[in-house]
Amino acid sequence: MRLWRILAAASLQVALLVLRGFSPVTLFALPLASAVLVVETKGDFESMAVELNRRGMKAHAPAAIVGKSGVKHEFAFALVPDTGKAKIVVDTELSVRDVDEMKVLKFYVKVFDVGPEKAVLCVCPRLGARAATLAKEYGITVLEDDVPRKLIPMAEKVVNEFVGQGGN
Amino acid sequence: MAEGKKKIFPVHFAPGKKLFHVVVTLSDAPGSYSSILDLVRTKVNLIGTSTYTRSDGTAVFSGFAEALSPKATGKELEKLIMSSKAAISATVYEGKDGILVDTFHTGFVVGDEEYILMRKEGLVHVFNRVSKMLGSGGDALLFDEGIAMGSRNAEMMINTVGAERVRAQVGILNRFLAAQGWGIIEAKDGPGDGGFTVRVVDCFECSPGGSSRRGCNFMRGYLAGGAKATFGRDYESSETKCVLKGADACEFRLTPG
Repeated sequence: MRLWRILAAASLQVALLVLRGFSPVTLFALPLASAVLVVETKGDFESMAVELNRRGMKAHAPAAIVGKSGVKHEFAFALVPDTGKAKIVVDTELSVRDVDEMKVLKFYVKVFDVGPEKAVLCVCPRLGARAATLAKEYGITVLEDDVPRKLIPMAEKVVNEFVGQGGN
Repeated sequence: MAEGKKKIFPVHFAPGKKLFHVVVTLSDAPGSYSSILDLVRTKVNLIGTSTYTRSDGTAVFSGFAEALSPKATGKELEKLIMSSKAAISATVYEGKDGILVDTFHTGFVVGDEEYILMRKEGLVHVFNRVSKMLGSGGDALLFDEGIAMGSRNAEMMINTVGAERVRAQVGILNRFLAAQGWGIIEAKDGPGDGGFTVRVVDCFECSPGGSSRRGCNFMRGYLAGGAKATFGRDYESSETKCVLKGADACEFRLTPG
């Protein structure tokens, strides 16, 4: 799954750069950078989970959660207490262009099956207009930034606020 | 006689052949059908036929046929059929360029319910797309849709034949799904307190082209939804064997939830 995402990000970069007429060096360097960012982002979620676990919470990154359907879903991060019922789930969508509504739908269907109290989608660079409308309708908290790594502290803040409000 | 797939004829392709679709309204009386067959067999080779009765006391004969002579015409065949006292009306549609399409019927009716026909591979492709686009969420969505359809279909059957009869005749009613091409569903043990195991041979969800999915989530949901509507309790459904994972048939375990 990780490899697939890395390749997908890389392929998207290549396609976009070909369209824009970038030099061959840039053509290969940027997809690599994108792939590294995906892996690093995952690593940062793992660090975030370690920190939260140190504070006595049950954080997982990545988190595999079995939904009501019996299907196992993977999230970048989740707080799942011993009851097994997820409190908060976080996922990421990294792209070189505005993220479309299909990605929101993909996240929402997982969220619907798992039924957490809060769902957070970290998006780089941002959601498209229709995707943003859909996310609002679905009650998804969306965090956006042009720099993927900046999403981690943003997500951490949201998780901490949720925990502070008695969410764990 | 060995079990097999029923052949129906909404379309037929036979390049170079003169093709007819013969539709006759008959009196619903003994001997009507055979009298029409006796007449048409002198002019055509029947490829496939169907007959059914209608609520107005008439019956319909519908047959796809190849002309025995290239000079045969639909009008001649109509005239021949109408010479039978059993025929109330007759229309013969001619094929074009070796293609014959049923332009008389507009769908299917089973009992009072309307059905549509679609290619199995086409439906499996839709499932593949849902699973591919939505990932594990797509699998969950297919499961939910399976529950909804299983529940509605079981309720429809309960409304038609009664709840007690449905519970008592689950085995034979499951053959209704087999006749529709869903797969041959066999309960391996009874619906006791510990649940039951269901084996599905030739499960439609595992048709060629279904290999990008990880299991039969729609069928898994369908069985759970059907069991809930039939036995009045929630069931958790898991797929213990799947053709997509190399088994010779799919197997599901339903346990009271």
